[in-house]
Amino acid sequence: MSEIIVLVLRVMVALALYGFLGWAFYTIWQDLKTQSEVVQGHTYPALIIRREGDAEGKSRRYVQPEITIGRDPSCDLPIPNTTISAHHARLAYHHRQWWVEDQQSTNGTFLNQERVLTPTVIVSGDELRCGQVTLTVTFDASASS
Amino acid sequence: MFFFPVPDPALPHQKIRGRLMTLAAFFVACLAAALTLAPAVRYHSFEVELRWMHWVGMVVWLASFMLIYRRVVRVLPDSDPYLLPAAALLSGWGLMTIWRLSSDYGARQTVWLVVCTAVIVVGLRFPRLLDFLQRYKYLWLTTGLLLTLLTFAVGVYPGGVGPDLWLNLGGFFLQPSEPLKLLLIIYLAAYLAQVIPLSFNFMQLALPTLALAGISLALLVGQRDLGTASIFMLVYAGVLYTSLGRKIIPVFSLLVLIGAAAAGYMLFDVVRLRVESWLNPWPDPTGRSYQVIQSLISIAAGGVVGSGPGLGSPGLVPVAQSDFIYTAIAEESGLLGSTGLAALIGLFSLRGLVVAVRASSHYQRYLAAGLSILIGVQSLLIIGGNVRLLPLTGVTLPFVSYGGSSLVVSFSALLLLLLISDRGGEDPVPLARPQPYWLLGGLLLVGLGAAIFMSSWWASWRSLDLTARYDNARRSINDRYVQRGSLLDRNGVVLNGTAGEAGGYSRFTAYPPLSPVLGYTHPVYGQAALEVTFDPYLRGTAGYPMQEIWWQQLIASQPPPGQDVRLTLSLSLQQVVDQAFAGHTGAAVLMNAETGEVLAMASHPNFDANKLDEIWDQVTHDPSAPLVNRAVLGYYPTTGGCLSPFETANAITPGAGETVPDGSLIHRLGFDLNLTGFTGPSPVATPTPLPGKVTSAPVYAPLVSPLQMAQAAASFSAGGLRPEPRLALSINVERKGWVTLPAASDPVAVFSPRQVNDITAILAVPETTLWEKTCRADDQTTWYIGGTLATWRGSPFVVVLLLEEDNPELAASAGRSILQAALNP
Repeated sequence: MSEIIVLVLRVMVALALYGFLGWAFYTIWQDLKTQSEVVQGHTYPALIIRREGDAEGKSRRYVQPEITIGRDPSCDLPIPNTTISAHHARLAYHHRQWWVEDQQSTNGTFLNQERVLTPTVIVSGDELRCGQVTLTVTFDASASS
Repeated sequence: MFFFPVPDPALPHQKIRGRLMTLAAFFVACLAAALTLAPAVRYHSFEVELRWMHWVGMVVWLASFMLIYRRVVRVLPDSDPYLLPAAALLSGWGLMTIWRLSSDYGARQTVWLVVCTAVIVVGLRFPRLLDFLQRYKYLWLTTGLLLTLLTFAVGVYPGGVGPDLWLNLGGFFLQPSEPLKLLLIIYLAAYLAQVIPLSFNFMQLALPTLALAGISLALLVGQRDLGTASIFMLVYAGVLYTSLGRKIIPVFSLLVLIGAAAAGYMLFDVVRLRVESWLNPWPDPTGRSYQVIQSLISIAAGGVVGSGPGLGSPGLVPVAQSDFIYTAIAEESGLLGSTGLAALIGLFSLRGLVVAVRASSHYQRYLAAGLSILIGVQSLLIIGGNVRLLPLTGVTLPFVSYGGSSLVVSFSALLLLLLISDRGGEDPVPLARPQPYWLLGGLLLVGLGAAIFMSSWWASWRSLDLTARYDNARRSINDRYVQRGSLLDRNGVVLNGTAGEAGGYSRFTAYPPLSPVLGYTHPVYGQAALEVTFDPYLRGTAGYPMQEIWWQQLIASQPPPGQDVRLTLSLSLQQVVDQAFAGHTGAAVLMNAETGEVLAMASHPNFDANKLDEIWDQVTHDPSAPLVNRAVLGYYPTTGGCLSPFETANAITPGAGETVPDGSLIHRLGFDLNLTGFTGPSPVATPTPLPGKVTSAPVYAPLVSPLQMAQAAASFSAGGLRPEPRLALSINVERKGWVTLPAASDPVAVFSPRQVNDITAILAVPETTLWEKTCRADDQTTWYIGGTLATWRGSPFVVVLLLEEDNPELAASAGRSILQAALNP
C-alpha cells in the first residue's frame, strides 16, 4: 500500500517539476512571440515623395527608414538642381515618427514655409522645400514593409 | 492560490511568478510526503517509524518563500518572474535532500535558509543597495581579500581533517572564498562601468582588474582551494568578455586556463590526483578514485526513474550533502530528476543573462552578467565533476548543496538580480555588442547538455555493470530489507537461512561444518561458494517474471523476496561423514553413482560462517586454509598407484560385442579438466627412486580433486558411466511451487560393462556388496575410494575420502563406515 502511495507521490513530484519547467519555457516562448510581434508592429509607413510640377505618376516611393536628399547622385533622392546642396537634407524614422533634418545646406530646408533648424517631425501631406525645389511627402501606411 | 497570491492576474509576469511558486511548493510538499513514507516502503509495513523531522525544513522553507514572495511582489513588482521560483524550487529540493541524508545537516541548512531570507528581506528594504555597493567597491574587495587572508592564520575545517578554508565565528563557520566571489564581481562591474566610457585602451582597462583578480587567485591557490580558483578565472574572463566584447578574451582565457591546469598538474598533488582519477578512475576504486566511482555507481543505481525519495543509498558517496548532492538527487529521482535539475539551473542562468541585457545601466548589466555566469559556471563545474565530464572540483551546487556561506552567496546573487531586473520603467541602456551574452548562454546550455548526456550514459548504458560491481554496497543493504531464500537439504531442513526482521535480516548457517561448501553472504566479506552460485534465485532476481522484478524495482527499489533452493545434500549423512574423520585434515564426497547427486561433501578443517566477524583475520591467515572447500578446490596427487584400478580396468579386454569408449583414459575419467573447464598440461610425477633399484619410467599421475575422483569412481558402481555431479535439486518458485532443475549433461561412458564387472570383482570386499581401494599417494596424501557393487539392489553409491596424512587405516575404516551409513539409513 505504502509503495503505491509513494509511487503516486513520485509521479506528482515529476509532474510538478516538469509542469514548472514546461510552464516556464512555454511562457518564455510566448513572451518571445509577443516581443517579436511588438517589434513587427514598430514598422514605419512608407514615404511617397512627389516633386512639384511632376506628373501624378512620377512620385517615388521609399520603404527604407532613412532617405537622403541632395544633388549628389549617391543620394536616395538625387535632385540635379543648383540651388540644392550635395547633401541637403535627411528624412529618418525613429521614435515612431518620421523626422526631417537639415544637413547644413547652403540654401536651407523649409517645412511648410518654416526653416528647419533642428530635427522636426513631419506628418503626411507636409510640404518640404529644399532650395527652390518643393516636395510633397505623404505616408503610405497601408502598404508598409 | 492561498500561499502565493497574485495581486493583479492581468499582468502576465505576476501570474507566471505566482503560478511557478505554487508549482514549486507543490513539488517540495510531494517530495517531503514521499520522504515521510519511504521507511514504510523499505520495510513493506506501516508498523515502522516514519520520517517526520524534515517537515520542519518544509515549513520553514514555505514560510521563508511566502515572505520573500510577498515582499518581492510589493517592492519589485516588475522583476523577472522566473528567478525567484527557480531559486525556490532548487533550494527546497536541496533542503529536502540534505534532511534526507542527515537531519543534523538538515537542521543547520534550515537555519541558514532563515538567514538567507533575512538577507533578502532586509536587502529589499534598501532601494539604493545597488548604488551603495557600487560606491564602496574597493572596500568590499579589500574586506573579501582580508577575510580570505585570515584563513591562512586561523583557518579551520569544520568536518575534522581537511583544507582549512573556514573561519570559526562562534560555532558558525564562514568560508570567505564564497563571499569573495561575489565581492569580486561587484568590484569588477563597478570598476568597468566607471572606466569603459572613458575609452582607455584595452590594457589600461584590464590591468588593474587583472592585478586584483591575480591577488585573489593567488590567495585561493595558496589555500589549495582550486575549485574556487577556477570559478574565479572563468567568472573574471566572462565579465571582461561581456563588458568589453573582445573575442580575444575567451580565446586568451582558454589558453590561460589550459596553462594553469598544466602548471597545477605539475605543482600540486591534489590537482594531479584529481586529473588522474578523472581520466582513468578504474584502477584505484578504493583509494584516490573512491569518490568518483561511488558517485558513478550511485547515478547508475538511480537509472532512469530513480530509486524514489528516501529509498536509495546516496549516503554511500562521501560528502553527498555538499559536493555530491547532484549524485544524491540523481540516485533517488533518476535521470528524469537530474535532467530537470540541470534545466532549472539553465533557466536561472539564462534569465540572469536576459536581466543583464535588459539592465538600465552598464554597472547593473555587468553585475547581472557576472552573477549569472557565477551560478552557471559553478553548477557546471560540480555537476561535470560528479558525472566525470570534468575533473572533480570541491565546489557547491548553488542553492542546492549544504553550506551556509554558499547559500548566502546564492541568495545574495538572487537579490541583486531581482533588484536589477526591476528597472522601474527605465529603458535598457544601449547594448553595443550583444554577441557575448548569447554566446555565453549558449555555451552554458551546451555544457549542461553534455553533463546530462554523461549522466544518462552512466544511468542507462553502463548501469548494469556499474551496479554489479563488488564495491556497490546497495546489494548488501537490500539483503537487510528483503528476505533472502534458504538453502535446504534434500529433506527440506534449512542449512543456510535468513533470521531477523525486515531492516535487520542476517544470514545464518544451521550446520557450520558445511560452511566451506555452502559459503556465506556477508555485508563486509561478500559472498562465497553456493551462496554465489544460486544468488539470483536466493536474491529473487531470477525465477520471477521479468515484469514482476521490474515492478518491485520501480516501487521499492528492491528485488522481490528470495526463493528457496533445495540441495542434494542430506544433513543426516553429512553428519556421519563429518564424524567419520573429525579432527583430521581432508575431504570427503558421498555421491549417488547413477544420478551424480552429492549427498554429502565435507572439508576439514572448516570454519563457522556465523562467526565471520570475529574469525575473519584468523581464517584468512590460517595456513591450513579452512575457507577452501577441499572436496572441490583441493587438487591432490595420485602417485603411488592410486589410479591403478582405472588403469587395470582399462587394460581388461571388453566383452563380446562391447566396445571401449573413444578417447584416452585420462580424458574419459575427466582428470584432464580443471574446475574452470580448461584443458591444461597434465602434471607428470616421477616416483622417488628406491635405493638399489632402477628408476622407473615417469608415470602419468595428474592432480585430482576428491569430487573428480568420486565422479570417476562412480563409473565402477554405475555400469561404466561417469555422471555429472549435481548439488541442487529444485527451486521453490513463487506461485509455481518446486521446480526441478535439469541435470547439467548426460553421463560419459568410461568403461565397458565387462571391464567394470572384472575390476569390481578384484576390488570387492568379501561378504559385502561393496568394492574399495585404499592407497597412499605420498606421505601426506591417503585416498579411500569405495562404492556399491552391481549386486546391490538399492541406489548405487560411491565414496571418496582424502586425508592429508599417511593414514590408510583411518581412511579405510572411515570410508567404509560412510558407505554403510549410506546403505542403511
